[in-house]
Amino acid sequence: MADEDYNDLDMGYEDEPPEPEIEEGAEEDVENINNDDLPGDTIGAEDKEEQAQVERPRKTSKFMTKYERARILGTRALQISMNAPVMVELEGETDPLEIAMKELRERKIPFTIRRYLPDGSYEDWGVDELIVEDSWKRQVGGD
Amino acid sequence: MFFHIVLERNMQLHPRHFGRNLRENLVAKLMKDVEGTCSGQHGFVVAITGIENIGKGLIRDGTGFVTFPVKYQCVVFRPFKGEILEAVVTMVNKMGFFAEAGPVQIFVSNHLIPDDMEFQSGDMPNYTTSDGSVKIQKDSEVRLKIIGTRVDATEIFCIGTIKDDFLGVINDPATA
Repeated sequence: MADEDYNDLDMGYEDEPPEPEIEEGAEEDVENINNDDLPGDTIGAEDKEEQAQVERPRKTSKFMTKYERARILGTRALQISMNAPVMVELEGETDPLEIAMKELRERKIPFTIRRYLPDGSYEDWGVDELIVEDSWKRQVGGD
Repeated sequence: MFFHIVLERNMQLHPRHFGRNLRENLVAKLMKDVEGTCSGQHGFVVAITGIENIGKGLIRDGTGFVTFPVKYQCVVFRPFKGEILEAVVTMVNKMGFFAEAGPVQIFVSNHLIPDDMEFQSGDMPNYTTSDGSVKIQKDSEVRLKIIGTRVDATEIFCIGTIKDDFLGVINDPATA
């Protein structure tokens, strides 16, 4: 029963994004906490690299895949469980995964996703740039 | 000889050090890890003088740790064959004596000590000239020439000589 529900959601999800989703799984998370905390020189460095990357426009979907979402939540929850500073105001949450979900909802997770394409090139997407859709098809982000 | 060079190292940072002090924590860890170590290629890292740049971090799967490539400027000390150094004698025995120039240990064999100096045993073993005017014992300062180095991956050891012009004791603690 639960399985069917899941599949239904899945199908709906696949129909939803306008562009086809080529990439999956092979993303690499890049830490850029510095950006959030120290606007200044790091941002400068980041911008330069960004430009080198962005000379041709990114072509992968602006939706976060469920695999990316899973990996980000998992990694972030692991870090929070290891005492990483939390980037959102807490309202009594204690479960690392719950906190990670809240961070993702508020798009405060300081990661960059590196999507590798089949030809070996990659695109970097900040978590805050991607549209996140949870399993109830609620969307966050994308503006 | 001392060099001021730029080195690179990948630093693993624990999630608890993230946040606004990430850089400071990273630099502190780098100093703790690197200063005082010895690599065969560069010699002893004496001090880190500055950070060139800290690259983008990469999250390690499964551990939550993040690896940052850090480029840093540091002062390194590497002894070379033929180099003249001043060193402090740490141990004297009948085979010769050991001296230290900062972190590096130098052995001077009795074949490389002038022939007119004789070993004297006792509770302060030393090498003395026949007329007693020059004495090498523990804590003496000597000027010596390095004639051989053994460079391991994590250690540098040198062989020195004082059998040459202008080498030998430069300051004797017994007379000073």
